[in-house]
Amino acid sequence: MLLPEEITKILIVGSKDKLKETIDVLFSVESVHPIDFSSEEEGFSLGSPLPVASEASVKLLKLRALEKDMELEAPEGNETVEVSRIERDLDSAMATLTGEITAAAAEKNALLAKVHDLENLRNQLEPFATLPIDLEMYRGYSSLVVFTGPVKMSPQEELAKTLKSYEFYISSDEKFVALFVAKAEVGEAQRILVQNGFNELPAPQGKGSPEQAIANTDSEIVALKAKVDAAEGKIAELREKYQSFVVASDEELSIRVEKAELPLRMGTTRHAFVLDAWVPAKSVASLEKALGERIGKDCHLEVLETVPRRTHIHPEEAQVGATKEHVLEEPPTKLSPGKTVGHFSFLTELISIPKYNEIDPTNILSITFPIFFGLMVGDVAYGVAFMALGLLGLSKCKSQEWRTIATMLFFGGIWATLFGIVLFGEAFGMHFGPQWVAEGGISMEALKALYPLGNELSWSSLLGTPLPDIGYLSKLHDVKLLLFITIFIGVAHLSLGYVLGIYNKNKQHGAKDAFFEKVGWLMMLIGLFLIMLYLVDIMIQPIGWMGFPLLEFYIYIGLALMIPGLIVAYIGEGGGAILELPSLLSNILSYTRLAAIGMSKAGMALAFNMIAIEMLAPEGGVMIIFAILVFMVGHLTILVLAVISAGLHSVRLHYVELFTKFYVGGGMKFSPLRIVRKYTTER
Amino acid sequence: MDAGLIAIGAGLAVGLAGIGSAIAEKDIGAAAVGAMAEDEKLFGKGLILTVIPETIVIFGLVMGILLWTSMGQFAP
Repeated sequence: MLLPEEITKILIVGSKDKLKETIDVLFSVESVHPIDFSSEEEGFSLGSPLPVASEASVKLLKLRALEKDMELEAPEGNETVEVSRIERDLDSAMATLTGEITAAAAEKNALLAKVHDLENLRNQLEPFATLPIDLEMYRGYSSLVVFTGPVKMSPQEELAKTLKSYEFYISSDEKFVALFVAKAEVGEAQRILVQNGFNELPAPQGKGSPEQAIANTDSEIVALKAKVDAAEGKIAELREKYQSFVVASDEELSIRVEKAELPLRMGTTRHAFVLDAWVPAKSVASLEKALGERIGKDCHLEVLETVPRRTHIHPEEAQVGATKEHVLEEPPTKLSPGKTVGHFSFLTELISIPKYNEIDPTNILSITFPIFFGLMVGDVAYGVAFMALGLLGLSKCKSQEWRTIATMLFFGGIWATLFGIVLFGEAFGMHFGPQWVAEGGISMEALKALYPLGNELSWSSLLGTPLPDIGYLSKLHDVKLLLFITIFIGVAHLSLGYVLGIYNKNKQHGAKDAFFEKVGWLMMLIGLFLIMLYLVDIMIQPIGWMGFPLLEFYIYIGLALMIPGLIVAYIGEGGGAILELPSLLSNILSYTRLAAIGMSKAGMALAFNMIAIEMLAPEGGVMIIFAILVFMVGHLTILVLAVISAGLHSVRLHYVELFTKFYVGGGMKFSPLRIVRKYTTER
Repeated sequence: MDAGLIAIGAGLAVGLAGIGSAIAEKDIGAAAVGAMAEDEKLFGKGLILTVIPETIVIFGLVMGILLWTSMGQFAP
């Protein structure tokens, strides 16, 4: 449960005649993770795809082209098509589709091209509409040269000075000109025009006024666009009709190609094939049975070894059979978390996939993460809101990320409600029972007699009736105590990390390495903790009343644990251990954020409650509406901030403080051969 | 007077520690985002590295709280 599943390395050898059937079996058992064939082995060559691959690939290619023409997107619905129907109808359907779709798509593309041409023409015509000349007047002269085009400045004056026989037109904004000039003066005219930033733009073919030509083009474009719409309508009709079949065929063909290409990961001789694979130890028997039943004697499964967790063998422990390969080959990691814990594995995989021979940290994370989240929120109202949000998310969301967040919220909400009732006794940042704060010169008894509902805002004072004062702590008044408690939580959490580290190292490298690498640190952690308790007692506040036995000797016990621990760690890890020592202290203190964040939430809630209930509401009238607004917006803000801060800090405590004590990661995910059918069904 | 000085000290402890961790996180965060732009899988590692200096402000906060709770002894 804690460690990933045991994996066995197997070798499958068989006759090529039965290759296709074998592949079908391998895919159907969904527990074979193939190892790519390395071409180093003598006498074997890399396999080639089954003949069906090329045929299916060609069809798939055509189908994808059709899908593009159809502008097909994967439909949402859960309509499925039988594989047998695809087999029967695919060829004929593709022939029909190719005919109809290709024709419709070609028609549409041709129309679009025409529209494009017309739009270009229209753009060309536009500047000519600014001049009062018909289009046919621009060409067909023998003694004249015509210049038309945009200019930067008006050349009118210079032309008048230099040229003798010419006709000049310019648009009203002086940006576009037409010059008709005698052939003898062409050189001169060209020079003047170029000096004024002229760019030649020949007049388009046509007759009549440019305005008329533009109007004609516009109406043509409108007519063509209607035709494009019709063509698109036809394509949409075809898409509606064939979409589910095409998507299903795509899936089926992809599956065929995937299956037919498996030999690319195998080694082959002329008549036989061989495939190395990882299989979960418990699935070997069922795979063997399936192969035996469906292939018979033409296929043989050889169990090579169930991979040990040990990666490093000390020379003195070397046993027969412990080869170098144990170090070289690491099997993939098949995690088998329960359904609920599985939702949290997203958080672990964000860092890395666990290795084959280490504890899956998701198990611990899924327990302590919601507890930390709940402790930081610690409020009945927010807790219930989170639970509701979580449930809503779990019922609506599909993507893994959102489901993870919803699960986090739901379980975090449960703990927040629990802590809110049992530990803090508050909702919306207000305690249930009456609260009293000291006022100058009045004793607590007198204060309680004077204000039966408390002199501080609470649900009792708000509702005007004394409610039972449940809960032991106040986030704002018992800050020191809360900080103290969180340090205990931190030490417990970190110790758990080291214990898991000892377990991992023991599995991987043996007891000796586990002792030197982890036990030393655990000793230092506990030693440091005892010294801290001692220092708190003498320097900050006496804590003897809490009943710690032998409190006055903690400094000696702590040093007696720390110094040998440091020596052990020094032997195990070298001088780095000494430099790392202060990080233990910062790790422990890091857990005080559990109290600090709860406190900041309570502080914000207090502020909003005071503004809404004590300052605005008593004014009456419109102010009551403002009070309700402030109350709602304020608490909504806190709720959103709680997700971000409590969630992120809880994640961080696991990633930075806990995981570094035992988790290495860097494994490879077990991904077996399997077929996922979404749009198709078999039989 | 003493209570006021303690309050200022507590404020400085939290505020300066906050600035300190902000400066540290700024650089790491920028680098982490850069790394993520190249490979989205680095999000987890980037997040870890980015939040490491956050502990500094927690130290500041703890000191601030300890100072704040000791204010009562000096209240006028």
